[in-house]
Amino acid sequence: MKRFLPFLLSIVLLAGCTPQKSADQPAQVQFFAMDTLMSIRVYNEGGEDAVQAARQEVERLDKLLSRTDADSAISALNSHAGDGTMVSLEPEVTQLLAFAKSVSQLLPGDFDITIAPVMDAWGFTTEERHVPSEEALSAAMELVDSSLLTVDETASAARLEQAGMEVDLGAVAKGFTAAQAEAVLREQGATSALLDLGGNVTAIGSKLDGSAWQVAVKDPQDTGEALCVLSLIDQTASTSGGYERYFEENGVTYHHIIDPKTGYPADSGLQSVTVISSNHMLADALSTALFVAGPEEALEFWRSRDDFELVLCTEDNRVIVTEGLEAGYRPAGEDRGYTYEIARR
Amino acid sequence: MRSPAAERRRPTPWDAVVALAVVAFAVVLIFLLRPTQGSAVTAVITLDGETVAQYRLDQLDQPETLTLNEAPYPLTIAIEPGRICIDHSECPSQDCVHTGWISRSGQQIICLPNRLVISLSGSEAEEFDAVTG
Repeated sequence: MKRFLPFLLSIVLLAGCTPQKSADQPAQVQFFAMDTLMSIRVYNEGGEDAVQAARQEVERLDKLLSRTDADSAISALNSHAGDGTMVSLEPEVTQLLAFAKSVSQLLPGDFDITIAPVMDAWGFTTEERHVPSEEALSAAMELVDSSLLTVDETASAARLEQAGMEVDLGAVAKGFTAAQAEAVLREQGATSALLDLGGNVTAIGSKLDGSAWQVAVKDPQDTGEALCVLSLIDQTASTSGGYERYFEENGVTYHHIIDPKTGYPADSGLQSVTVISSNHMLADALSTALFVAGPEEALEFWRSRDDFELVLCTEDNRVIVTEGLEAGYRPAGEDRGYTYEIARR
Repeated sequence: MRSPAAERRRPTPWDAVVALAVVAFAVVLIFLLRPTQGSAVTAVITLDGETVAQYRLDQLDQPETLTLNEAPYPLTIAIEPGRICIDHSECPSQDCVHTGWISRSGQQIICLPNRLVISLSGSEAEEFDAVTG
C-alpha cells in the first residue's frame, strides 16, 4: 500500500490543477449613446462602480450635446439662431464650442461644426440618405460658417448670427466625452481602463501588467481585418473613414464626411485617418478635419505640431504612419495589398 | 522502522505497475485539462441591451435564419456554421447589412437605428484589446 501512497497523493494534488481561467475579466458595460455604440471597461478590481459612474457621465453629456434632443443645450442654441439672443450655456458646452471654432481656424475649410444643415440635406441625420438637389444643397451651404457662431466663454453663452444655422457637435462630442469620462473613472480610482465611444478608443493608463494596450486600426476595405496594430498608453485613437456610413445612388457611393468647402462627401485621396493623441478632444476633431484635408495637408499639419500622431490610409493602399508611432506599431495588412511607410518630420 | 523497499536493489513488478499507472494517469490528465475546443465561437444578439438569441456558430450543422419582427425596423439574420450576418434590414441606413459576414471572436455587427448588436466571443484569445474605426 505504501508504494501507492505517493501516487494517491499526486492525484489529490493534481486535482487542484484545473485549467486557469481566461485573463482577468474587466467590469464592463455596453450601451447606445450619441448615435453610436459605446463600451466602458475597467480592469482594476471592483471597477463596477467606476463603470456605472462613467456611463452616467456619458449619458449626461449626450443629453446636453445632442442636436436631436429638443431639450439639449445645443437645441436651445440652434433654436435661437438669427434672433440675436445670447443663449446661456453650461461652461463645458461653451468650452467645447470655442474649441471647435479654433479647429476651424487652424484648418480653414476642412472642419466646421455648422455643417449640420448640409448633413440634413443629405439625409445623414435621421431620414433616408439621398443626394440632395442642387437648390437644396446650395441653400444649406449658405448656412455653413462657423465664424458666424459667437462664443463668449466668460459669460458662458453663445449665439448663431444667421437664422437657419445649426451646430452639430458630432465631430468633437465623443472626444470631449472621453476626457470627461476619464476624469470620472480616475476619481473612482480606476487606473487601467478602455473606452470605446463608437470606434474612438481611449486607453486609460496601461494594462494591469504595465504593458501598452494593443489597439487595432480597422482595414477600411475589410472592416473585419486590421490595417495595423498600435500600442497605446493614456491616449485616444480616433478614426474617420468613408466606409462606415454611406449609401449608393445610381452606382455612385456617397459617404458621410462632408467637405465644408463643397457640400459633397470629402474626396481627398484618403480611405481613413486615425489620429492618436493624449488630448482626446483634439484626436476626435482632427480625424474628421484631416480626412477632409487629404494626405499632404495632414502631414504638413502634423509636421507643424507635436501633440498628435497619424495613421493615413490612402486611396492607393499606402499606409503612412508618423514616426512617433513607429516603436509600438505593427503592420497587419500586407497580404491584402497594403504597403507601409513611416513619415518623418 | 525501515521500509522493505529501501533494502531491495531491483525494482519489482509492482514498481512497474505504479510507474505505468502514473504515466497512464498523466496521459488522462493531459486530455482532461486540455482547454475546451479551440474554435468555440458564440454569437450573442442583443436588442436595446436585451439578449434575444445566442448561437454556438462552431456547433451549427446547417444554415438558419432569424427574423426579428419586434425590432423597430424588422430584420433577418443569417446564421451559418462558423459565421453570421444581417441578411436584410428595413433600417434606413443599411450600415449593418454592409458589414457583411463576421466569424471571429471580438467582431461585431451594429444596427444603430435598431439598437441591435451581434457580438462574437470565443475561447480563443482576442488579438487586440480594442479596435478603432
